Amino acid sequence: MKFMKKMDGVFHASEGTARFSVLKEQSIKTVFFFTALFAVIVVSFILLFLLRDGYPIFAQVGLLNFLLGPDWAPSAVEPLYGIFPLIIGTLLVTIGAMLFAVPLSIGCAIYISELASPRTKKILKPAVELLAGIPSVVYGFFGLIVLTNFIRVTFDIPTGETWLAASVLLGIMALPTIISVSEDAISSVPHEYKEGSLAIGATQWQTISRVLVPAALSGIAAAIILGIGRAIGETMAVLMVAGNAAIIPDPIWNILSPLRTLTATLGIEMGEVSVGSEHYSALFGVAVVLLIITLIINLSAVAILRHLKEGRAHCPARKPLVSSATRESLARFAGIIGIALVLVFLLAAAPWWLAALVLLTIGAWYFGRDQLSQKQIQTIAFSLVGLATVIVLAILVIILQDIIINGLPALSWEFLTQPPRDLGRAGGIFPAIVGTLYLVMGAIAIALPLGVGAAIYLVEYTREGRITRLIRTGVDLLNGTPSIVFGLFGFAFIVMYLNVGVSLLAGQVTLALMVLPTVIRTTEESLKNIPQSLREGSLALGATQWQTISRVVIPPAVPGIVTGAILSIGRAAGETAPIMFTAVVFSSRFLPDSVFQPVMALPYHLFILATNVPGSSTNKYGTALVLLLLVIGFYSVAIIVRTHFQNKARG
Amino acid sequence: MKANRSSSLVITIGLAVLLIAAMAVAGCTDTANKNTPAVTAAPVSTPAAVVTAQNAVLAATPVAPQATSAPVSTGQKQTIKISGSTTVLPIVQKAADQYMVTHPDADIQISGGGSGVGIQAIGAKTVDIGMSSREVTPAEMAKFPAFVITTVAQDGIAVVVNPVNTAQYLTLDQIKDIYLGKITKWTEITGANVPNTNNQIVVIGRDSASGTRTYFDETLLLKATPTAKMLEKNSNGAVLQTVAQTPGSIGYVSIGFVSKDVKALPVWYNAQKIVAPTLDNVKTKTYPVSRDLYVITNGQPTGLAGDFIKYILSADGQKIVADEGYVTLN
Repeated sequence: MKFMKKMDGVFHASEGTARFSVLKEQSIKTVFFFTALFAVIVVSFILLFLLRDGYPIFAQVGLLNFLLGPDWAPSAVEPLYGIFPLIIGTLLVTIGAMLFAVPLSIGCAIYISELASPRTKKILKPAVELLAGIPSVVYGFFGLIVLTNFIRVTFDIPTGETWLAASVLLGIMALPTIISVSEDAISSVPHEYKEGSLAIGATQWQTISRVLVPAALSGIAAAIILGIGRAIGETMAVLMVAGNAAIIPDPIWNILSPLRTLTATLGIEMGEVSVGSEHYSALFGVAVVLLIITLIINLSAVAILRHLKEGRAHCPARKPLVSSATRESLARFAGIIGIALVLVFLLAAAPWWLAALVLLTIGAWYFGRDQLSQKQIQTIAFSLVGLATVIVLAILVIILQDIIINGLPALSWEFLTQPPRDLGRAGGIFPAIVGTLYLVMGAIAIALPLGVGAAIYLVEYTREGRITRLIRTGVDLLNGTPSIVFGLFGFAFIVMYLNVGVSLLAGQVTLALMVLPTVIRTTEESLKNIPQSLREGSLALGATQWQTISRVVIPPAVPGIVTGAILSIGRAAGETAPIMFTAVVFSSRFLPDSVFQPVMALPYHLFILATNVPGSSTNKYGTALVLLLLVIGFYSVAIIVRTHFQNKARG
Repeated sequence: MKANRSSSLVITIGLAVLLIAAMAVAGCTDTANKNTPAVTAAPVSTPAAVVTAQNAVLAATPVAPQATSAPVSTGQKQTIKISGSTTVLPIVQKAADQYMVTHPDADIQISGGGSGVGIQAIGAKTVDIGMSSREVTPAEMAKFPAFVITTVAQDGIAVVVNPVNTAQYLTLDQIKDIYLGKITKWTEITGANVPNTNNQIVVIGRDSASGTRTYFDETLLLKATPTAKMLEKNSNGAVLQTVAQTPGSIGYVSIGFVSKDVKALPVWYNAQKIVAPTLDNVKTKTYPVSRDLYVITNGQPTGLAGDFIKYILSADGQKIVADEGYVTLN
């Protein structure tokens, strides 16, 4: 209130206007508060619904037997509902995926933000975002046909459907998320840090590794958490390559053993199971456990983040070079653990020459690094970073090439403008294209205002406190919630409970809930990067908080918000699991006339063609290609918008 | 858990926000729709038909759509929704395509999801017909006593191996022992060899909620539980793909899915005969592994739903069943 009075002095405003503007400020704040609370509401809803349906199995089998039971055999004469192998499978796959994805992603992010020329950057950034737009069904089929075969032949084992295949595939799928968000974080470290470091004589690599990356650590950590969320929640791809045998690898580090994750169990068993039966309840129990695991992972990640931030706060103001001993030892500890894990895997599975090569390299590095000059270290580091980028690009090229070569023959005017005939073996996919557009647009239309509102509330209106912590936990949980669980929730709540029916609307809402955390996270990150001085300056000039937010804070944050929207669109367009039970029909003669009608959608069409219509190979790849082109189309528009805003912000 | 303390308040707010969002989007999408028909509807139908469809649907959607009471008459738009098993979906979809050619005023919308989803949906009356590839369980029957179940086709289950496998046939006992994990090498089976491998058998089956799996386990494994090392797939297509690219593998799929990428093995039935998994052998029940595919309605099917089911059972409809590689009814 003190502040408002001061403002009155500046504007010579009447008492009435002042009261009105106070009221306005208050109501705006309330609106933002509710958008922020939305994530928490949704999560509690999901938990409630899952618990409601999962409770009977806990009551019947007993919580401990359910969690620690070694056998999952629901169809046995005496059904066994032990999910211990599934929990272990989920954890192992996620750890493997992160071991694969994190080094690649951070290397690639460093390359894009620090080493690439502006021109290369312009190509690399969209290329990475493109990886995010490849639908998970396509990843799954790529994994099943190319990756598992490659692993089978390379390691000379009976089947390539293994933990390794699942981890690599999930790692690839997590790459774009981790790269984009960490690249944003590294790029937004203030220029002064870099210039200061270079000015005191540090090499470029020293600047990157000791100044920029530590300064961006919270962003990078957020990126990794997002990536873990993506990996844990993935259903369609992982169930195609993991083999889904409900066993614990023997020995536990045997990455060439098949295994089964919690999500895959839901994905493959949910559709057919008799609703309300013991097995059905057990699957909801699985979903509850899955949510709790994501809760634990997210909370520990938050704790780590807080630890990092406090470590930084102890240092003298504005000093980026954090030399806190705890940090160093933490980093060393993490490094040793990482190396140990890699070693165990190498010794267990890799061909001897690869293991020897890696061992030799590590040994040479450990004993030889003191002999190397900073310049040589820089050269080595840069080549590694470059190599990471090349690997990421190679992965993109391999997948794209597979889709394009096989899909191009299907593309024709008829294919794009006709409804399908003969179960999609002939005819086109026009209704599916339109359906996907409707779904994605609706989802973004719902998620964007809610997500941006929530982020504004979290960053601009509150200090860290109980409520923000509750909201953030809600967002984290929502982010970690597997897409298949959103699908189940959409079916149980929107379709059945609210009696909306299988409809466009149900799909849009379900997809919106799924992409909401991505929108919130990325918006939050880009709002945080707006220097505090801008806000202070605006407020000092007498602008109200809302004026400050709408005129000063949001405009430069738009590129970040758009990035979030792009990632969301890419994800929503390619998802099968959330719409499978809520929004889609296999084929429809007419386009939907209202949001209460079901639609066709490209990923689902692809899924059915791939799994249930023999002899539709050409149209299957054609559908995949169209889906991909559609996403590229979204991206191009969004990238143009982003560049436009960036130029405007600079000019 | 702070969220639980004020959960009733939270639920109320949640509902309100959800509703507001829903209305906002309903508004948005309707405008979007109005722009498109000029371009989009042309190849599908005339604009007039679209308008009628809209009226009919808008009138019917807020409550569960029930088209069954209205008589089938030309000129009046009718929509039915069908949902359920993805195994039955190809038959029903293709029948619907054909049916709609001769009945231009009928709109049949079909979605998958699985047998469980289909049975639940027909039970809750959100659809007019449910599809199932497994039998309706006693519990489901007790919950929805009005169910009328119609068999529309039969499905044979073929045991398939990779084409490089030299195996000529398998006995029922061998199949059982392989799936129970007692036989782990192809060398243990007479005539079987997989060149350039260590002859390890890769056992592939369906997920435990699958109708195909239930049937396979009951008939061939005599209700025993298959080995935990079995790789589980959630569709015929996925089993087929895996078997086609894994030399030492064995799997089972619907007969309609058998292609040149895999080798469907005849079964040594008893001392006298070896039976190949062909449509004829399934139809005459000579081949031991076959099951029924169902559609389910709430009460006796009437109106468009009834007429459509009659069409599937007619000679034209059964021809589609045969075309899709399933077994027609006798």
